Amino acid sequence: MSLIRDLSTPALVRSGLIGGLATTSGVALTATSGWLIVQASTMPAILTLLVAIVCVRTFGIARPVLRYVERVHSHDAALASLAERRVRMYDALVPLTPARLGRRSRSDVLTSAVRDLDDVVDAQVRVVVPLIAALTAAGVAIVATAVLLPAAGLVVAGVVASMVVSAALALRAESSSQVAGLEARAAASRVGALVTSNATDLQAIDAEADALRWLAAAHSEVRRTAGTAGRIRGLGLAWQQLTTAASTAGMALVVAPAVGTTVSGPVAALLILTPLALADATTTIPDAIGAWARARAADGRLSELLSQEPAVKDATGATSRDDGAATDDGGPPASLGGSVRVDQLVTRWHPSRPALPAVTFDLAAGQHLAITGANGSGKSTLLAALGRHIDPEDGTYLLGGTDVLDMPLVTARGAIALVDDEPHLFSSTLRENLRLARPAATDEEIEAALADAGLQVWLAGLPERLDTWLGSGGRGVSGGERARIALARALLSGRPLLLLDEPVAHLDHATAVAVIADLTRTSTDRTVVMVSHRSDGLDGFDRVVDMTELQEPRPPG
Amino acid sequence: MRPFDPRLLRAVPESRRGVGALAALGVIAGSLAIAQAFTVTSLVVAVVGGMPVRPSLLAVVAVLTGRALVSATTEWVAARAGARVSTALRERLLASWLTRPADARPAQAQALTLATTGATTVEPYVARYLPALVAGVVLPVLAVGTLLLVDWVSALVVVVTVPLLPLFAALIGKATEDATARRWKTSASLAGHFLDVVRGLPTLVGYGRAQRQARTIGEVSQRHRRATVETLRIAFLSSAALELLATLSVAVVAVSVGIRLANGSMALHTGLLAILISPEAYWPIRRVGAEFHNAADGAAAADQILAELDPAPGPVPASPTVRETPRAASTTPYRVRVEHLGYTYPGAERPTLEDLTEDFPQGLTVITGPSGAGKSTLLEILAGLRHPTSGTVTAPHAHLVTQTPFLTAGTVRENLTLGASQPTDAELDAALDAALDAALDAVDIRAVVTALPDKLDTQLGDAGFGLSAGQRARLALARALLAPAPMLLLDEPTAHLDEDSVARVHALITTLAQDRVVVAVSHRAELVALAEHVVTVHPAPAKASR
Repeated sequence: MSLIRDLSTPALVRSGLIGGLATTSGVALTATSGWLIVQASTMPAILTLLVAIVCVRTFGIARPVLRYVERVHSHDAALASLAERRVRMYDALVPLTPARLGRRSRSDVLTSAVRDLDDVVDAQVRVVVPLIAALTAAGVAIVATAVLLPAAGLVVAGVVASMVVSAALALRAESSSQVAGLEARAAASRVGALVTSNATDLQAIDAEADALRWLAAAHSEVRRTAGTAGRIRGLGLAWQQLTTAASTAGMALVVAPAVGTTVSGPVAALLILTPLALADATTTIPDAIGAWARARAADGRLSELLSQEPAVKDATGATSRDDGAATDDGGPPASLGGSVRVDQLVTRWHPSRPALPAVTFDLAAGQHLAITGANGSGKSTLLAALGRHIDPEDGTYLLGGTDVLDMPLVTARGAIALVDDEPHLFSSTLRENLRLARPAATDEEIEAALADAGLQVWLAGLPERLDTWLGSGGRGVSGGERARIALARALLSGRPLLLLDEPVAHLDHATAVAVIADLTRTSTDRTVVMVSHRSDGLDGFDRVVDMTELQEPRPPG
Repeated sequence: MRPFDPRLLRAVPESRRGVGALAALGVIAGSLAIAQAFTVTSLVVAVVGGMPVRPSLLAVVAVLTGRALVSATTEWVAARAGARVSTALRERLLASWLTRPADARPAQAQALTLATTGATTVEPYVARYLPALVAGVVLPVLAVGTLLLVDWVSALVVVVTVPLLPLFAALIGKATEDATARRWKTSASLAGHFLDVVRGLPTLVGYGRAQRQARTIGEVSQRHRRATVETLRIAFLSSAALELLATLSVAVVAVSVGIRLANGSMALHTGLLAILISPEAYWPIRRVGAEFHNAADGAAAADQILAELDPAPGPVPASPTVRETPRAASTTPYRVRVEHLGYTYPGAERPTLEDLTEDFPQGLTVITGPSGAGKSTLLEILAGLRHPTSGTVTAPHAHLVTQTPFLTAGTVRENLTLGASQPTDAELDAALDAALDAALDAVDIRAVVTALPDKLDTQLGDAGFGLSAGQRARLALARALLAPAPMLLLDEPTAHLDEDSVARVHALITTLAQDRVVVAVSHRAELVALAEHVVTVHPAPAKASR
């Protein structure tokens, strides 16, 4: 309920009430039509029917018109609320980025967060408005029928009570069935993606049958959960219609004895048709309950993501707001050198994970260090600490001779450029994609950075040069080009320490070797630390060590 | 787009039962809706006329209970059919792709969309749109038919006005087509902005540019709101117009009924019946429109998947690959040969391989050449994973170890037996384990596996134990060793290995080459020295005339 209250902005409640009038018009249209037909059959003077005819016409026109107003109004309100929530979510995500977004596939985590927010806000239009509208119409119906015949009001109240109970039950059932259903579909999608993107590698080892077996297993779960969800929806629908049956019967039983005494024939027709008309007006409820359950699950996931503590604290003791005027003008921070001195540095990715063995090494400014090692040996965690994405648990980390904990986070991060294995290209021009690393950069500097990253030939082949549009809706780039653009961005930033987290993990051997060779050749004036699970193509590095070598305890004394 | 594509029933026989059941349930539901009008009319007439209500009351309850059962069943059947059809489509699609060479499959991005969200969106298409379509066809027909028997004047009004609904829908759609398309485009590009910025958040944070994006997000979201509401206004206006049209049509029926009732030329029972039945001819049509709009993605996805499943998609290979069937006697050497082989990647301007003629004799052949010369492509062609653009290939069935060998997040055992088609018999387990151990031993990784917590049953991958690139490469070689294929193709088999292991693996490769055809791509001079035959490929020269 708290989610619904949270989503019910004044504009939305207004929309709901307008929707309620539209629904009421629909119910009134059917009921008054019944009255009119029966009244007409008594062959009165046509004039006596005029008021009712006007009413029927008004209700008939009011329903679509009010519905239109409600839909425009509610969508506008929901989109306004979406705009506001997006800014709020973005602000909350910034201090959690990147360390609290998981270690890999961060863009998947971020994509789900955006989709979840859409689902939450979707509930404004699909849950809040229909529920307010249905309750409004039901309330009007209770009062109107009670005025005509008190017992009839009770019958309609019974309908409402039954609907509320079924909605509560459906919400509970839907919540669990939807989670299972979404998980099953996501798992099937994952298998589909795995098989599609590895089709050639699977064919190469004759594993087609294995792949189809995994898919079949995931699919049988999809079918099972879909069946369960269908049963729950079906039961909800059946409950609604049985309620209509019971209330129509109840209405007939309370109205019949009163005909001719307290109610006229035409009013009797009106009353008997009311439960049926209400049923037609409330067919959207099961869908609304489904959307409610979906929004609730999405809201839960978002809260869990956004309520995390940031992984780094600022030197001032305040929680990180990582931006600042210091780097916004784009000039390379001249104050810090690129030397790195790490002494008995203990890190852990998250308080719930075990701490990694202490690491010690020393790197003069301009030196290139490659760290290899198996997955899970702590390479990426070390790099996250070097990049000031997580705070060290113990030990010291001197950057340019100063302890990073003694300097503002902005200063430390302003000296570091990090390239990981999933660099993002924004939907913008090539120029803007690079310039975000240094807004003051000239076209010549940008082209020089691209050349240093080995993209001179590629750039020369682009008809629109730096104005080429990249990202979604733009020019497609290969994995190698993407990695190189990210490197060019890092080179352009002019930051003295360059950290590379498996930058070529997804590239084939030849491309990976070429990218790394270009990098070590052109970044002679800055310190480079690269972690990689592959040990090939590291000839250009001053030092290549295995993670375990760094973790060896220092000899005593 | 057609309302329903019968190809679905042909391509996915599993869909027949569900679609058939939905059609039958739709007819029953439609009949019950008409029956409801009759029983409710009787009930109202009985109450108004002071007649006994019990018979018509029981009839109303019976019909409504029947409707409850039918709609519950429909919902259940529809959900099951949706899941069945969408999963069957995905299975057919992937099965089809796995039998095709890489160049006869669609581009990766498009393939991924179809195999993931594409197949999933078919579910609501079947589960929600199809039942609405059935109701949209059945109910208006039943309603008009019944009205003809009850009151032909009302039937006439309905028959004249019902076609106006789709007509108006089409006219409105036509009139607003350009405006809608233009606005959707604006709206879609603005909608993508937030996702783009959020996905790029790690980059923005890294370069200290995150904070200043917050204001842009607010502004773009407001622009998106305005653009979307403008688009929706058109959509809502047209649906309001259709609803008004339907209401007015029923009102015309009501007026004619009212006049005849008031001048006594019609019985109450008939008039009420006509009034209750006529709306049943209009709303199902409007619902089809609404559900079709929601299911449009699913319909488009189903269309694309069915097109993929049609026989002979993509380019027909210029020259078929000759596959030699496995022979019983392994003493006869296999003949492996490429003649005038050429290969051009789809969409590429220049060929990767051109006019290559080579024999790959029994024993070890090493392919060398500069990067980009098409060495990996040649291996994929020998393995039958790509069709040559020109020339012929003669080769037996092969096991190819690619540069990024596929390892699943399963156990070591599962990874080693990938592709070993028969599920293993419990009694053979011991023998199998011995074979697995021997293979692991041959690639110098047995000690590593023995040290794992659950040995062969240790889970690998993100959730389990991490392997270094060298260990992964050796695991893939062990798997190749276990494969029954008469030809082994190895792409850079020792690129990730340290110097100690390289010699050991090279020795293993020569052993393997004693009774199989082994073709390896390698930069290593040591392996070239061990080869019986060396093939050097050069990048295809750029053509002067293009």
